Amino acid sequence: MYETLRFNEQDGVATITLNRPGGNCISMQMVRELSSICDRLEDESKSTVVVLRGAGGAFCAGIDFDDFDPNAVMDIHGFNKWEKCCTRIENLPMSTVALVDGAAIGGGLQLALVCDQRLATASSIFQAPEVKLGFLPGMATFRLAKYVGLGIAKRLLLTCPEITAEQAADYGMIDAVVDDLDVGLNQAVHNLGPNHNVAVQLTRRLLNECYATDYQNALGHFLAAQHRAISQTAFLDTLKQAKKSD
Amino acid sequence: MLDTQPRLLSVGTANPPERYTQEDIAERFEIPDPRIRNLFRSAHIQTRHLYLPPVDERGAPTETQGALLAKHLRGAMEIGPQAVERCLAPLRLKVTDIDYLCCITTTGFMAPGLSAHIIREMGFRSDCSRADIVGMGCNAGLNGLNPVSAWARANPGKNALMVCIEVCSAAYVFDGTMRTAIVNSLFGDGSAAVLVRADPADDKRFAPRVLGFNSQIITEALGAMRYDWDEHHGKFSFFLDRDIPYVVGAHAELPVDRLLKAHGLKRRDIAHWVVHSGGKKVIDAIKYNVGITEHDVRHTTSVLRDFGNLSSGSFLFSYKRLLEEGKVRRGDYAVLMTMGPGSTIETALIRW
Repeated sequence: MYETLRFNEQDGVATITLNRPGGNCISMQMVRELSSICDRLEDESKSTVVVLRGAGGAFCAGIDFDDFDPNAVMDIHGFNKWEKCCTRIENLPMSTVALVDGAAIGGGLQLALVCDQRLATASSIFQAPEVKLGFLPGMATFRLAKYVGLGIAKRLLLTCPEITAEQAADYGMIDAVVDDLDVGLNQAVHNLGPNHNVAVQLTRRLLNECYATDYQNALGHFLAAQHRAISQTAFLDTLKQAKKSD
Repeated sequence: MLDTQPRLLSVGTANPPERYTQEDIAERFEIPDPRIRNLFRSAHIQTRHLYLPPVDERGAPTETQGALLAKHLRGAMEIGPQAVERCLAPLRLKVTDIDYLCCITTTGFMAPGLSAHIIREMGFRSDCSRADIVGMGCNAGLNGLNPVSAWARANPGKNALMVCIEVCSAAYVFDGTMRTAIVNSLFGDGSAAVLVRADPADDKRFAPRVLGFNSQIITEALGAMRYDWDEHHGKFSFFLDRDIPYVVGAHAELPVDRLLKAHGLKRRDIAHWVVHSGGKKVIDAIKYNVGITEHDVRHTTSVLRDFGNLSSGSFLFSYKRLLEEGKVRRGDYAVLMTMGPGSTIETALIRW
């Protein structure tokens, strides 16, 4: 059904496995297929967690230069589609977990950053090499500093070092280094329960917006979001439960 | 099959000539209460166009209800015709080309209604059909667009004109309470006109078709927004319940989802959201309940910032800014959304 990835859902967990020879590089076909999966997850899925991982010993080794023709006039539309796809993954109505085993390079790093959690094996490597290659590291310029701070982000994006999973965890770029990704995932899924997706989505949205707004605006946003959350069954059930315990 | 779906062919807006910052108004009326002065310092509204009254030696306005009604008509006859002229000019239409006129206002009651005054003042044809929608509040622009679009569809090739005219400064009561201060710090004066026509000859025009409407009335919040007689002041006075922005937000998904479902669409298919500039809280509540972004409501917030809440015509000011931005493309869908007394949420789907 998909050329560039595999997709399956089991026990409330939807797994997207990037699956292209040579490091699961991002092609326009992959962008289209990721967007199509976002449609499916938004419209039909009962899963509460979405996992993003790579096949064949890599997470994602960046964009596929085969999609570019050096003799053609360059345009920005493909980048725009890719960034929109990242934003859709970032805003999916489920919790998202990136499982990194191997290279998370360039756009692959950004795919990991748009997820709510990132787990990686010790042998994984992270790098944003774009500046050395003469272009920009996508909207990693917007996201990375929020995880690691401006100073480290500048060093990582301007000097493009390859860093280990352990360093990435030290910087706050990933949440944990694990021996076994599936064991780590099970623990992450367990930690995410019980699933109250409205509270999760709204909290995530407020966090994602928190660097781009002032306190008074953020307070207004919080009050609007909180009103929505406390009107949901999940919070009303919590109140009923609390009354019973009295 | 001929396309007889009505299209929004042109929009024009107008405001009173005098523009005030919030600080200007707080100074003019010598507001002593720091809580109320703070209301006027909120950053989400910076300027408003108003017909402000003279003040007495204490800095208080002196208008009676009779004076307010007279101001409403006087102001309406200034900004209403300006909006009409600005709407018709790009189409090279004259007022004598208009076959149906619908006027909308909540800020002043009269008989005959504004439509009769506009027709006489501007020289419309005497056989121009007309309707007045009075007292429906901030949502009324879409309550009007619904029957205006239906009229246009039933009368292909004929020109229907809807004009929202609100002189909110004719609805002000100054009594030093937070209740009236919220109103006085929020609403502005303005008029917006839109030309609607269903004519296959317009197919090549870059103008959106009106595809459908959906409404949601929240009857349990009937009293939460009201404009009723205040015996103590001898004036009509507007009341806004503290929690109504959130109540409106909590119900906003219902008409949006019904509207989109009826046309086989998802929220992600909507390229543009044109939401009424009701106030910061209600805009936030719509954003976080419908799941739309700050970017989606950029014109809603900029209209609020520059004009305040213009009541029924407010969404057309945002619509005009969307057009002027030049980013709309053929095939794009937009949802128009207004909120007001009832409490009510009105929605419409349009497509370029």
